[in-house]
Amino acid sequence: MSLDVNVKALMKNAFRQSKVRGETASRVRVPGGLINAESMARVVEIAQEFGNGTIFLTNRQGMEIPGIPLEKVPEVNERLQAIIDDSGVNQEERGKGYPAAGTRNVVGCPGSRLCPFGCYDTTALARRMDKAVFPNNRHVKIAFTGCSNDCAHVALNDFGIIGMTEPQYDRDRCIGCEQCVKWCRSRSVGALSVVNGKIVRDEDLCIGCGVCVNYCPTRAWTRSPEHYFRLKIMGRTGKQNPRLAEDWLKWVDEDSIIKIAQNTYAYIDEHIDPGAPGGKEHIGYIVDRTGFEEFVKWALDGVELGPKCERASRVYWGGKRYDRSNELK
Amino acid sequence: MSNANPYVPFASKVLAIVEHTEREHTFVMAYEGDVKPGQFFEVSIPKYGEAPISVSGICPDVSVDLTIRNVGRVTGELFASFAVGDTVLLRGPYGNGFDVSLYEDGECVVVAGGTGVSPVRGVIDALSHTADAKDKHVIVGFRSPGDMLFRDDLVRWADALDLILTVDGAPEGYEGNIGLVTKYIPDLPLRDPATATAVVVGPPAMMRFSVMGLLQKGFAEENIWVSQERRMCCGLGKCGHCRIGEKYVCLDGPVFNYSVSKDMLD
Amino acid sequence: MGYVLSREGLDQVLQGLGTEYRLYAPVLKMGEGRFADTDVVRYDFVTSLDQIELSKKSDYAFKELLTPLSETLFFFTEGEVKVADKDVRDVIVLLRACDLHAVKRLDQMYLANGTEKDWFYQRIRDHVRFALIGCPSSFENCFCASMGTNVAPEGWVFSLEEADGGYRCAVADGTLAGLFAEHADAEADVEPAHVVENDTKVRVPENVPTAIYKHQMWDEYTVRCLKCGRCTIACPTCTCYTMQDVFYTDNGRVGERRRVAASCMIDGYTDVAGGGQYRRTGGERMRFKVLHKVHDFRARFGYDMCVGCGRCDDICPEYISFAACVNKLADAVDALGKEVDGDE
Repeated sequence: MSLDVNVKALMKNAFRQSKVRGETASRVRVPGGLINAESMARVVEIAQEFGNGTIFLTNRQGMEIPGIPLEKVPEVNERLQAIIDDSGVNQEERGKGYPAAGTRNVVGCPGSRLCPFGCYDTTALARRMDKAVFPNNRHVKIAFTGCSNDCAHVALNDFGIIGMTEPQYDRDRCIGCEQCVKWCRSRSVGALSVVNGKIVRDEDLCIGCGVCVNYCPTRAWTRSPEHYFRLKIMGRTGKQNPRLAEDWLKWVDEDSIIKIAQNTYAYIDEHIDPGAPGGKEHIGYIVDRTGFEEFVKWALDGVELGPKCERASRVYWGGKRYDRSNELK
Repeated sequence: MSNANPYVPFASKVLAIVEHTEREHTFVMAYEGDVKPGQFFEVSIPKYGEAPISVSGICPDVSVDLTIRNVGRVTGELFASFAVGDTVLLRGPYGNGFDVSLYEDGECVVVAGGTGVSPVRGVIDALSHTADAKDKHVIVGFRSPGDMLFRDDLVRWADALDLILTVDGAPEGYEGNIGLVTKYIPDLPLRDPATATAVVVGPPAMMRFSVMGLLQKGFAEENIWVSQERRMCCGLGKCGHCRIGEKYVCLDGPVFNYSVSKDMLD
Repeated sequence: MGYVLSREGLDQVLQGLGTEYRLYAPVLKMGEGRFADTDVVRYDFVTSLDQIELSKKSDYAFKELLTPLSETLFFFTEGEVKVADKDVRDVIVLLRACDLHAVKRLDQMYLANGTEKDWFYQRIRDHVRFALIGCPSSFENCFCASMGTNVAPEGWVFSLEEADGGYRCAVADGTLAGLFAEHADAEADVEPAHVVENDTKVRVPENVPTAIYKHQMWDEYTVRCLKCGRCTIACPTCTCYTMQDVFYTDNGRVGERRRVAASCMIDGYTDVAGGGQYRRTGGERMRFKVLHKVHDFRARFGYDMCVGCGRCDDICPEYISFAACVNKLADAVDALGKEVDGDE
C-alpha cells in the first residue's frame, strides 16, 4: 500500500523528513541538555527497536533517532511518553509524542550544577523556560549559559542568556593579595585595581563573571544573593545575514527574561511575514522589518525590570549580508 | 595593659645627610641608646610604611648613621621629603649585631659588597683602631667607581689597615682595582687562616662565593660570620617574613656564624 | 561539673552569657561559598544557638578574631600618630580541641617569640576565653590523633556537644555553674567527647636532614600548586602578616597603618627592597610551609605547629593534600636515612 503521510503534521510532531523514502527520525527534546540515565536507555531502546541502531546528537543538545519507518511513528510516540514525562516537557495529549517542533530545544551549558564558574543553575532555568514557551510552532531559539565564557554559544540564538553575579566585597576580609586583580585581568576583563591596599571594582567594566569570587582566598569576595543575567538578542545563523546576538539587557532578573520570551510570541504572531516558508521566520528578520522599537513595545509589555537592570536604548547588529554581496574582500 | 607598645615608633631628628651617590645617602639620626654595628632600625614613615635599615655608624649617646638606598616607597619618601632638622620616626634597634670583640685580636678578613658595607662599617672602624690593624684585611667592592660609599672612610681605612678597594667594572682610564671581591681572597697575606676570623656581608651570590673562597683558603666555618638580608617587616619576630627554617633573621640575626647559617636554606 | 540541657536550655545559657560576653562561633554563611549557591562556614559573632553551626567543621578558623585578616593599627593625621581603637569587650570563642591547641601556637608566636610581646595581639587576647565544642567523631581530612591534638588542653570554661536531641555540657569555670544549673534539665558527669582515631593518618618525621631541601619530592608541587595561599588563610596556626601603609585618596595628609594576613604561599611574601625574591616556585613554598608545620616550629619551640585540623586539605582547589605531603616527607626522610646508612 502506498504511503499517505501528512508531512507537515509529521514535522510538527517532532519527526524529521528524511531523504530516505519511507523513513523518518524522531527528535527527542532535552531541555537544558540534561537527561537521566533511564531516559537515555529508552532512547537507546527506541533506536534499536525502531531505528537503525544509531543516535544523532544534535547541535542543540537534543537527540535524533534516524531510520524509523513512517508507519512506526505512533508506536514510537507511545514509547517517547516516559521520556517526555521525565523531562517535564509540556504535552497536549499523552501518548501522541511532542506537540510542536518550531520552538527549538532550549539549550543550557552544565552551569552551576557542575561547573565552578557557573553563576546559576542553567538546567533548572532552561527547563523553566521550556515550560513557559513550549509547545509553540514559532521558530524561536533560546540558550542559557552559566557565565560570560558562553560555552553554550548563546550569541547564536534569538535569546541568549548569560549568568552574572554581582561581586560583594568585604574590605575587612581583604588581605590585598591581589589574586582577584590578577585573575580578572588574565581570565576576564581587568575590572579590578588596587587602591590603598584594597580592591576597587570598575562597575561599568565588570561583566559579573565571578572570577574574583572564585580566586579570593579569604571570602572577601562573595556572590550576590540575587542571580543576574545578561540578555543578548537576535543572533542567528543562516543564508542571508548570519550574525551574533547583541546585548540588550544587563543585570536583568530571571522572571523578566521568561516574560520577555513569552511576550515575543505575540509579537511574532502580529508581525510575521504571512508568506514565510513553513510559517517560520527568524525573529531577527521580523525586527529588522518592524523596527526595534516595535519589538521592545511588545517584549516589555507587563515587564517590570529591576532597579539594577540596564537597558540598551538601541541595539545594532553586524554580520555578513550575503543577500547583498558574496564577495571575499 | 602596662607594657609599652613596641610598634609605636619614636621621633629622631635628622642631624646630617651625607650624599654618597644620587640614590645612596647616609642619614645621621639622633639616638642615645645602646646599639651595635649590624643591628637595624625600622624607618617608619606614616602613610608610606616601614623599611629595615642597618646601622652604618654609631656616635655613642649622640647618633646613629643609617645609609639608605632609594629603591622603594618608604625610602623614596624619605629622600624626597626629609631634610636636616626634620623628625623621622624610628623603631629599634633590632637584631643581634656584630660582636666586634670577636675580631679585634689576631688576623681578620672583612669582605663587603655594595650596601653590604653599611652594617660592617662600624666593625671596620673598630678594626682600624686596633693595635695590630695591619693584620686586618678589608676587601670592599662596589659595582662601579660611581657607586662607592663612605669615600672619606675608605681613605682613612687605607691608611690604618690592609684595604683592598675594588669595583666590578669601570670606565676606561680607571686606575684602581677592577674585579669581584672574591678575586682577592686567595692572595690575602695571612699567617694562619685556620685561626683567622672573617666577616662577609653583601648580595647573596657574593656572600656564597666569598665564603667558599675563605673555606678554600683554610678558614674554619665557626670563624666566619655573615649577615643575612631578608624582608624584616616587624623586627619583633611576629610577622614571619624573615624566617629561615627555625631562625628569625630579625631576632637571631641578621648576623650569623657560618656554622649556623650554612644550614639556613631557602 | 556537667549538665544535660535541652536546645532551649542551652540557648538560655548562651543568652545569659551574652550579657557579659560576646560569643564568637562557627556560622553557616548561606551563599557565601566560592561557587554559585554554595555556603561557607566561618566564624562570626552570634547571639543565639540558632546562629551557630555545630554539625560541620568550619572552613576558616577562629583565629580571625585574634589575628584579624585586616586590622588597622594606627591612624595618622598631620604630625600625629594615634593607636586605633578596638572593641575589647570580653569574648567567648566556641572551638574544637584542635583549635584550642592552635591558640597555644598563636600565643607562642605573638607573645613569646623574641623578647617583645605583640601589643595589638595581647590587647585582644586578654579579653578572650574559650568554650570547647566536643567532637564525638572525626570530620573528613582531620588528623588530630596523629598530631596529638585530639584531646583538648586546659583552658576552656565550658564544653558543649549535641547528644540525644539535646546538649551535654561540662563546666570547668565554677563561676558559670550557676547559669548552667539554672537552665539544665539534669546534672550529669560529662567528659567532652574527643576523636580517638581519624581516617587520615599522618606520620611526622622526627628529624629532617638538610638534604630534604633539594629533594625532588617538592617538584610536583611546582606544577600542581596555584600559590593561592588558601591553605594558610584557613590554617588556625598560620600567623604571618604584612604591614600596609596608606594615605586616603580624598585627603592625602591623613592615612593609616594596617596589618593584613600574609602567606608564604602567595607572591610578594619574600620581596625585598630592590626586587629580590626568595622561593619563587610552588614546590619551594610548599617545602617552606610544610617543614615549618612539622619540623621548624618544633626545632624552635619544642612541639609541632600543625594541629591536624585538615582545613588546608579541605580548601585546596587543586586537591593538594598536606597530610599526604607530610607522609611523603616521612618516607623521603626514611629513604635518605637508608642512603646514608648504605654509604657507611
